[in-house]
Amino acid sequence: MDFVKYIDLLRKNMKTLKKVLIAYLVAVVIFDVVLPRDEAHAHYWIDKVFAFWTVFSVVGCFLLIKIGKGIAHLFLSKDEDYYG
Amino acid sequence: MDRWVHPAIFFFIGSLLLPFVKGKAKKFLILLIPVLSIIDVAVMQAGIYGSYQFLNINIVFGRVDKLSLVFAWVFVIMAFLGALYALHVKEDGHHVAGSFYIGSSLGAIFAGDYLTLFIFWEVMAFSSVFLVWYRKERRSIEAGFRYLLVHVFGGLLFFTGMMLYYYKTGNFVFDKIFPDNAGIAEYFILAGFSLNAAVLPLHAWLPDAYPEATVEGAVFMCAFTTKTAVYVLARGFPGFEILAILGTAMTVYGVFYAVIENDMRRVLAYHIISQVGYMVAGVGIGTELALNGACAHAFAHILYKALLFMGAGAVLFMAGTAKMSQLGGLYKYMPLTMIFYVVGAISISGFPLFSGFVSKSMIVASAHEKGRLMLMSWMNLAGIGTFLSVGLKVTYFTFFGKEAEIKPKEPPKNMLWAMGLTSTLCFIIGVYPKVLYDLLPFPVEYHPYTLPHLSEMLQILSFTGLVFFLLVKKLQPEAKLNLDMDWFYRKGARVFMKLDERVISVVDSVWGELYRIVGLNLLFKNARISYGFDRKIIDGVVDGSATTVRGAGSIVRKLQTGRIQAYIGLSLFLFFLILWFVLRGM
Repeated sequence: MDFVKYIDLLRKNMKTLKKVLIAYLVAVVIFDVVLPRDEAHAHYWIDKVFAFWTVFSVVGCFLLIKIGKGIAHLFLSKDEDYYG
Repeated sequence: MDRWVHPAIFFFIGSLLLPFVKGKAKKFLILLIPVLSIIDVAVMQAGIYGSYQFLNINIVFGRVDKLSLVFAWVFVIMAFLGALYALHVKEDGHHVAGSFYIGSSLGAIFAGDYLTLFIFWEVMAFSSVFLVWYRKERRSIEAGFRYLLVHVFGGLLFFTGMMLYYYKTGNFVFDKIFPDNAGIAEYFILAGFSLNAAVLPLHAWLPDAYPEATVEGAVFMCAFTTKTAVYVLARGFPGFEILAILGTAMTVYGVFYAVIENDMRRVLAYHIISQVGYMVAGVGIGTELALNGACAHAFAHILYKALLFMGAGAVLFMAGTAKMSQLGGLYKYMPLTMIFYVVGAISISGFPLFSGFVSKSMIVASAHEKGRLMLMSWMNLAGIGTFLSVGLKVTYFTFFGKEAEIKPKEPPKNMLWAMGLTSTLCFIIGVYPKVLYDLLPFPVEYHPYTLPHLSEMLQILSFTGLVFFLLVKKLQPEAKLNLDMDWFYRKGARVFMKLDERVISVVDSVWGELYRIVGLNLLFKNARISYGFDRKIIDGVVDGSATTVRGAGSIVRKLQTGRIQAYIGLSLFLFFLILWFVLRGM
């Protein structure tokens, strides 16, 4: 199937792909900075900080992984036949 | 239209006809049942139907309004998609259980009083458990029993509340309850409803049972039980602050486990808790926008979660396992399944142009509108976890990542068609949300495609992706079991069994021994005397009657086939026969 070939092509060109994705991320942040603020709906400080959700996502995602895996290893994870 | 036909009828009667047809006719019937119910819902007009007096109690089978209709719509659509996905299943009992499950869910959402609701509520639990048991593995059978016991407990909470409510008000009318008027009766009912919605801490049955269900059964289960519960919460308990808080807690709790779980279907099951959390929170916030959001999200969620379960089920069906620690690189072997799974994953994550974007955001926006910034932030954190777990982790470790030894093929055509159709619906709702918004209980003034919302979602999704790829090694799935609240009853039951073994059974056997020595000897002697009397004298008098009874007994024995599906079929038949007599007499 052609579709599989496209994916293989992308996987072969990981370096270029990474550059494109980084450029995309920068564009996302720029978009948030330049977009016209919707004053009617911007009631709270959350709505007024530029790129607020960028920072929120980076920190939030990092914490979710670290805390999730941390607690799992601390005491949540047991062997698969734990209950017999 | 004056006459109203309850859509559950098609499922109840239709499925009982299934054992009598074969081959293509059977497949046709399996698909015809949901098609008829879709037509039925399409022509339905708002109103009160099927209202009867029963022992001076008013029971209502058909309360049709916008709130019940939006759920009915998605239930019958899902019934069709699920039936298509399960078309290859050979066991009639599986189809019958699925149909009774769907039929009783429809019964529950149209019920206008607690009594009717309760009956359908219980039929739901007792029919859906067969979708777990039909997997026919030891783990499934055990999980099924736990599922049943927990739901019986939930049913008892509901029943207690219902009886207290009757004691207080003198009726069973199921309508909106105001938080200020709620007493112990209402809170019992709320607890019973919450258990089915998997509200913390009554949620552990869900990730325990759903991953052990059959491939096809799980697709049904993920749609109906929790969403029926969302419906009754939206009907009865809007504006209860406790729901706003617990719902938001659920959103984060679910993704937390979804991030660390290994089995694809267990990730998805935990994620249901998260998604239902949004709906419960929406009900708790209680504004028109929030309730619209809860309904819209239930609608969209049923479709994309079923799609995800179909994808994961297809992997399990073809590869023999859904554990990500044993999977990888499947995009080469199951490309279509992968595309459909990814459509489900980006819909649930709220990508623009897909259904999650237009439904989840209504609830988040309602929290924003009410100034509940904490709730809003936690929900958005759960949004990050959604994309991280269901979107990235499962997709990456199943379809990409390190190639595993398992090289499965694409699943049967009916499964692919079901996935394709569901994907299309997710996309249609995403680009043309009006079709969904028009069904909602309140007029919709909300517009999802605004620049700030677009920017917010793009930032959340893109940067979650970035962190995922930076930390991907940390997320490697592990073949482990993670403890949850079910620990209390699974280990607790063991403590009880030990107590039983060591104390109760010792007392019992001492007592038994005593009885054997003293009581039984006397009894035997007594029996021997009366046996002789009976055989020689009584049977001699009414000669032959004992022989006749013995003959009749052997006929009854033939009816008792020992097959559980036959018993259930028979008892349901009797149930409806009795119901018919009762209704006819009124």
